[in-house]
Amino acid sequence: MNKYSIINTRLPRVDARAKATGAARYTDDLSMTGMLYGALLQSPVAHARIKNIDTSRAKKLPGVKDVATAQEAGAVRFGVSPARYDETIFCIDKVRYIGDEIAAVAAESLESALEAASMIDVEYEELPAVLDPFEAIREGAQVIHSDYPNNIGAEVHQEFGNVEEAFKTCDYIRTDKFVNKKQDGAFLEPQACLAVYDPDEGLTLHSSTQAPHYVQRTLAMVLGLPIGKVRVVKPYVGGGFGPKASASTLELTACLMAMRTGRPVKMTFTREQVFWHSRARHQFFHELTTGVKKDGTLVALKNTCYLDGGAYSSFGIATVYYAGSLLGAPYKLPNMKYDGYRVYTNKPANGAQRGHGGVAARAAWEQQLDVIAQELGMDPIEFRLRNIMQRGDVTCNDFNMSSLGMKECLEAVRDGSQWEKKKGKLPRGKGIGVACGFFVSGAGFPIYRSETFHSTAMVKLSEDGGTVNLYTPAAEIGQGSDTILTQIAAEALGVRYGDVKIASGDTDFGVDLGAYSSRQTLMSGHAVKQAAEEAKRQVLEVLSEQLGIQADEMDIRDGLVLFKGDGVDFSALRSNYIKEHRGWTDPPTGDRLTFVEAARMAYLARGTIVGRGAYKPGELGGKYKGAAVGTSPAYGCSAQVVEVTVDMETGQVTVDRMTDAHDCGFAINRTNVEGQMQGSLSMGLGEALFEEIKFDGKGRVANPTLGEYRIPTCLDMPNVETIIIESDEPNGPFGAKEVGEGAIMPTIPAILNAVYDATGVRISELPVTSERVFNALKAKKQQ
Amino acid sequence: MHLLPRFDYYEPRDVAEACKLLSQFKASAKVIAGGTDILVNMKKGLIAPEYLVGIGKIPGISEIEPVDGGVSIGSNLIIEKLVEFDLIKKKFAMLSKAASVLGSPLVRNRATIGGNIVNARPAADLPPALIAMGARVKLKSRRQEREISLDRFFKGPGVTVIRPGEVLTQIVIDGPPPFTGGDYIKLMHRRSLEIAIVAVASRITLDGPDGIVTDAKIILSSVAPRAVHAVRAEKALIGEKPTEKLFEHAAKIASNECRPIDDIRGSARYRCDMVEVLAKRTLRGAFVEAREQ
Repeated sequence: MNKYSIINTRLPRVDARAKATGAARYTDDLSMTGMLYGALLQSPVAHARIKNIDTSRAKKLPGVKDVATAQEAGAVRFGVSPARYDETIFCIDKVRYIGDEIAAVAAESLESALEAASMIDVEYEELPAVLDPFEAIREGAQVIHSDYPNNIGAEVHQEFGNVEEAFKTCDYIRTDKFVNKKQDGAFLEPQACLAVYDPDEGLTLHSSTQAPHYVQRTLAMVLGLPIGKVRVVKPYVGGGFGPKASASTLELTACLMAMRTGRPVKMTFTREQVFWHSRARHQFFHELTTGVKKDGTLVALKNTCYLDGGAYSSFGIATVYYAGSLLGAPYKLPNMKYDGYRVYTNKPANGAQRGHGGVAARAAWEQQLDVIAQELGMDPIEFRLRNIMQRGDVTCNDFNMSSLGMKECLEAVRDGSQWEKKKGKLPRGKGIGVACGFFVSGAGFPIYRSETFHSTAMVKLSEDGGTVNLYTPAAEIGQGSDTILTQIAAEALGVRYGDVKIASGDTDFGVDLGAYSSRQTLMSGHAVKQAAEEAKRQVLEVLSEQLGIQADEMDIRDGLVLFKGDGVDFSALRSNYIKEHRGWTDPPTGDRLTFVEAARMAYLARGTIVGRGAYKPGELGGKYKGAAVGTSPAYGCSAQVVEVTVDMETGQVTVDRMTDAHDCGFAINRTNVEGQMQGSLSMGLGEALFEEIKFDGKGRVANPTLGEYRIPTCLDMPNVETIIIESDEPNGPFGAKEVGEGAIMPTIPAILNAVYDATGVRISELPVTSERVFNALKAKKQQ
Repeated sequence: MHLLPRFDYYEPRDVAEACKLLSQFKASAKVIAGGTDILVNMKKGLIAPEYLVGIGKIPGISEIEPVDGGVSIGSNLIIEKLVEFDLIKKKFAMLSKAASVLGSPLVRNRATIGGNIVNARPAADLPPALIAMGARVKLKSRRQEREISLDRFFKGPGVTVIRPGEVLTQIVIDGPPPFTGGDYIKLMHRRSLEIAIVAVASRITLDGPDGIVTDAKIILSSVAPRAVHAVRAEKALIGEKPTEKLFEHAAKIASNECRPIDDIRGSARYRCDMVEVLAKRTLRGAFVEAREQ
C-alpha cells in the first residue's frame, strides 16, 4: 500500500471546472450596485516638477463623483520595504516616470471617468530625464529622489572568504560582462480592484493580488485605518509572477475614493498601464570574475552588478541582494564577493519577477562556467558535477542545503537528453547546452521586520462530519496553491480529496504573507498540515473516549477510521450516529467506521471541531548584513539541457527540445509540479529570445502591448521532457519545497550555451534575437 | 480599459448601398470588415470615424471563384480561407503560404483579404505575394467599376488610390503561365503573431523545365513605405539560365536596392542583409516549384 492516498498523485485542480467552464470570477468580473468607475491621470513626461494641478473642469463634468489628487490623498509614504518607502498615492511635487500617478477620478461611468481624468490640467516644469543608470550615477546628474543625491537607492557590499587572496591560488581566472533587458510580467489578467467602504464594517478591497496580507497592511497604514477594519479579498487571479506582490496606487486610489464617496469603486489597468506600472524584472549589468584550479575546482567569484531600478524602490532592495546571494550554490564555492548598486532612473519602477534577482546573474555565470569548462578541456556536465553541492552542504553565505538533489538533476538531464551522444557531435547550426540553478523555498523573513507567523490556517469540520472546511489566507494566483493545500489537508486529516472545501485569499482567515518567493507549498503547506492534524487529533480523542482505545492505536485514512488492533466494536457509536441522522438517506454501512461518523461524534462531544495551524521558519543561518535575503528553510534546484537549431544565415534560434529536472523535495501534485516547470521554461525562453521593454528617447515605453512585447507562443515552445527529482526536504511538509521559480534559473544559460555550441559565438546581451546572433556571426567571420 | 469612441454603424445590403453611404459620408466614414485593425486603432484613439460601414452582410464578396484559369477572390473573404482552399493551395501556393503566417488563428479567422490590402501597411503579408502574382483589384463606386493592378494601388503607409465612395470588391489573379513558381518567406522574431522584420515574395517563369527565366518578380516587404519591386534584381534574372549562382547574384542586387529604416523590429543594416538571404531562398523555392509544373 502507498504511503499516501492524496498527495504525490495527479489529481485534477480544484478549480479545473470553474476555469474550464468560465464560471471562475476574476476581479474585473465583479460588479456592485451603485458602483463607480475609477480612472487615473498619469504623467506624460518622465521627469518634471508639478507647478499646478487644476481639477475644476473635471469636477464639473456630469457623472463625476470624486476627483482626488495628493491634496486629498495625503503624503503618507509607502512602498515594499519599510527601509525604502519612497512612494505616495499621488505625486506631490514631482513626477518621476511616464505613467506616474497624479490624480484620479471616480464617476458613474468609465467614459465619464476617463474623460474627466483627461480634463485635469497639470502644469509641469520639465526636468532632464535620467534614463540610463550609468548616466544617473555620474557626478552632477539630475537627482530623482532628494534623499538619494547620487541616485543610488540601495547598495550592497558583501564578501565571504577572501576573494583576492583566493584568486592568487587560481590557475585560470576570467572576467565576463552580461546584460539582460527590463521585462514585463505579462500575466494575462491586468491588475484590477474593487473597493467597498462601509462606515460600520470598514474597508473591503477585492483585488487581483499575490499578497492580500501586505496589501491589507499598506492600506491600513496609508489610509489611517486599523488593520482589523481592512479586509482584502482575492478573487481568482490570472497570474502575477511578482509584479502583483505588493500594494499599488491602483488599489490605494480605489479605496481612497470609495471612502470619500461611500460608493464602491472599481478600477482596472489597461495593458499599457500594466507596462507603465511594471514592478517586473530589472535590467541587470553584471561583471563576473571567476577563478578555478586547473582540475576544475571552483575557487572564487567576484560579482559586480548595477541594476536599473526605475523611479521607485518597489522590491528593489531585496532584488539587489538577491543578484549577489543567489550565486555560489549549487556549487561548492568558498570565496564570494559582491558589490551591487540599485540605481534610480526616470522609468517605470522595477521589482520582483519569477526567480527574483537571480535570473540574469545565473545566466551570466552559467555561461561563464561553460567557457571555463571549455578552457580547461572539460565537459560542462563533468565540470559542474565536480563542484556540485549535496544534501547537508552549507554555502559560504550560510545557506543550508538541508536537501539538495542537484547531482541527481544533472545526471537525469544528461541521461534524458542523451547528452553524451550529442555533445560535440552535432553539425554546425545545431547545438546542445546545459545549466543548473537553485532558488529559495520561501523568504526566511517577512518584508517588514516582525516575529509574525508567515502562514496560518484553519480547518473546521462540518457538524454532520461530511465536509472539511479549509480556511487559508494563502493566495491562489493560478499557480495551483488551492489544489496543493487541499491535497495536504485531505492527506493530513485522512479524508478524501473531494471532502475538503477550500476558501482562500481572504485576510479575514488570518495571516499568510502570500504568493511570492516560492513559499506557499512549504509555508502555507506546513500551517495547513498542522491545522488538519490538530482537527484529526481532536476527532481521535473523542473516539478514544467513546471506544476506550488509545488515540495512537487509531488513524484516519481515505475517509475511514483505521484501528491497529482487531475486533474493535464500534456498533454503539454507529447506532448513535444513525439515530442522529434519522431520515437521512445515507446511513453508513460496511464493516469500517467512517470519518463522517467519527467527526459527527466529535461535534456532539465538543462542538465545532476546529484545527489551527501556524508556521514560521526556525532559526536560519547568516548573521551578516543582508542575510535575510536569501536564507530560506529549504532550497529547490534544477538542471536543464536545451537543444537548438540556429539558422546560420539569418541568426534565428529555434529551441528544438528541452530536458528539465527539478528537485521539489516531494511532489504534492505531480502534474502541477510539471506545469510549473513548463511555465518557468516558457518564461525563460521568452526572456532569452524575445522579451525586452524598449524605450524611446523620452522614457516612454515603446512597446506596451503583447503584440510588440513578445512572450512565446505555443509554436515557439518545444516539447519539454520533465523529470521530477524528490530529495525529501526535512523542513518541508511531507518533504516538499519549491518549484515555481527555481525552474526558470537554468533556462536562459542553457539556451545561451546551446547557441554557442551551434555557432561558436557567445551572446552576452539578451534577448538572443536573430539580428544579435547574425551580427555576432558576422563579427566572428571578420576576425 | 480602452473604450471605442462613439460612431454610427451602417450595414448595407449590397455594394451599391455601401458606395452610396461612403460617398455620402466621405472622409468621416470607414469601411469595416474583420475589424482587426480598425477597432484596435479606434480604441487607441488613432482614428475616430463618425461612421462605420460594415460590409460583412453584402452577398457576393466573400467567395473564391475560378475565372479563366485564374481566380477571383471576394474582398470580404477571411484570411484563413486562403490557407485552406485547395485552388489557392495548388495554383497560388505562395498566397496560401503568405496567408498562413499572418497574425494568429484568431486573427486569420476574422481579418479579410481586402482589409489586409486597403490598410496598406508596409509590412502587410498578402500584398507582396499578390503583387508578385500580378494581382488586380476591382474598385466599385456608384457610377463606375475600375480594375487596377496592385502594383499601382499603394501610395504609401495607409495611403492607396482608393477614392471616397469606392469599395474594393474583388481581387483577380490570372492563372500562372506554364513553368511558373513562387515563394514567400517572412522573417519573424517568434513563430506567430508577428509583423515581418523583412519579407520577400519571388516568382519566376521559365520557358521550359530546363529553360531560361522569361519573367521574374522579386517583391520586398517591410523595407520601404510599401512593398516594392527589386527592379534591378528582376532584370538580372530575365533571359538567364536559373542557377544557384544567378540567384545569389540577384539576391545581392536586391539587397543593395532596398532602403529600409531602423525601427523597433530591426536595424536597416540587418534588413538589407536579410533581403539577400530571403531573396535567394525564395528564388530557390520558386525555381523548384516552376520546374515541377
